[in-house]
Amino acid sequence: MRPTLYDYVLSPSCYKARLMAALVGSELESVAVDFHPGGDHRKPEFLMLNPAGTLPVLTHGGLILTETTAMLVYLVRLAGRCEWLGGEDPASAARVQQWLAFSARLTASLGLARLHDMLGRPADIDAARWAGTLCLRELESALVENRLLGEDFLAGNAPTVADVACFPYVMLAPDGGVSLDPYPAIRAWTRRIRALPGFVEMPGIHRLHDLRPEPGEAEAAA
Amino acid sequence: MASVCGTLEVAVWRSASGRVAAWVDRCPHRGMRLSHGFVRGEMLSCIYHGWRFDGAGRCRKIPAHPDLDPPETIRTQSLACLDAQGVIWIASEAPAVAPPDLGNVVPLRSLTFEAGIDAVAAMTGEVPDRSLLRLDAHGPVPPLVLLLQALGPGRSAVHALAAPTGTGALVAASRALEDFRRRTEAQGIAA
Repeated sequence: MRPTLYDYVLSPSCYKARLMAALVGSELESVAVDFHPGGDHRKPEFLMLNPAGTLPVLTHGGLILTETTAMLVYLVRLAGRCEWLGGEDPASAARVQQWLAFSARLTASLGLARLHDMLGRPADIDAARWAGTLCLRELESALVENRLLGEDFLAGNAPTVADVACFPYVMLAPDGGVSLDPYPAIRAWTRRIRALPGFVEMPGIHRLHDLRPEPGEAEAAA
Repeated sequence: MASVCGTLEVAVWRSASGRVAAWVDRCPHRGMRLSHGFVRGEMLSCIYHGWRFDGAGRCRKIPAHPDLDPPETIRTQSLACLDAQGVIWIASEAPAVAPPDLGNVVPLRSLTFEAGIDAVAAMTGEVPDRSLLRLDAHGPVPPLVLLLQALGPGRSAVHALAAPTGTGALVAASRALEDFRRRTEAQGIAA
């Protein structure tokens, strides 16, 4: 039996679970929830499942998960792909946890700005964008330092759940009026993630066209 | 990637073989930003309708008309562009002088400051040339060269290069630049 994802296609948090499953080669059952305009995630039936009224929710047998980072860890372990959890030495394990916690700050800043701009949710938009900018500066500096050490990803030289947790809200920052132009190291990192085997898209996040053959020329070569 | 040259919005890109080009950030077809496009081999494709341009800015392929050899009048608007010492220099017209010799330095990182280039230069205390600053070694931080690019009023890009040194010193330099940015921006808020 596959895990079931209560899903909304435009939600970056739901996308994290879909992306993680795709990257470790797992399949999910999907139940579409009308987050907007229906607001079904705040209706009594849904609150029976998740009293917090948030998306996504992942269920598997009797297990109900409502926190996205927990879902990422679960999907990785379920697939037996524990390399996605990072190294086991204390520092490596802590680095992954550091970025998983950081991802919540991205949601609260860049995610809030995006909800404000896309769905008209109330927010102090200038404060949300500035908080998001400070997060992006922190991320940019960390990625610069990692590159100086010869590391391509957030917690070392291989991608982990930390990268999957941070990538979507960063990539969609422009939806909330925060440009990624000032962050060359972040842009290079997002390209590395989008080039990973098994990578899947969501609206606003596309794979790298550069890696695909020119349409027409592929058929000609075949 | 997107950049600016004075008030001109610019797309800068590098081909697979390493050739760089800088164009006005506007496709001659429908005006889409070329910086949203993508590079395959030696060509840049516009993201909107896939028109493909070679390094000289000439349109070579229009996917909607696959049998058409595009006329050579279909071109992007090119800027002067030079790749030297790890820095891509752009100018709206062919410049009379070559870029300055930066000395023995390697590229470190680029940062955006919410402060104009005059404010950034003033923070270093020396302003003979407000677009090129040389900072002496300071504690673990190696000597730095800062190239200041105006991005608009109250906004600038600082491209930092460092004397070649160990990783630890480069990390220290990166952190020193962040400290420099925080102090520069705080100055603007106080003013």
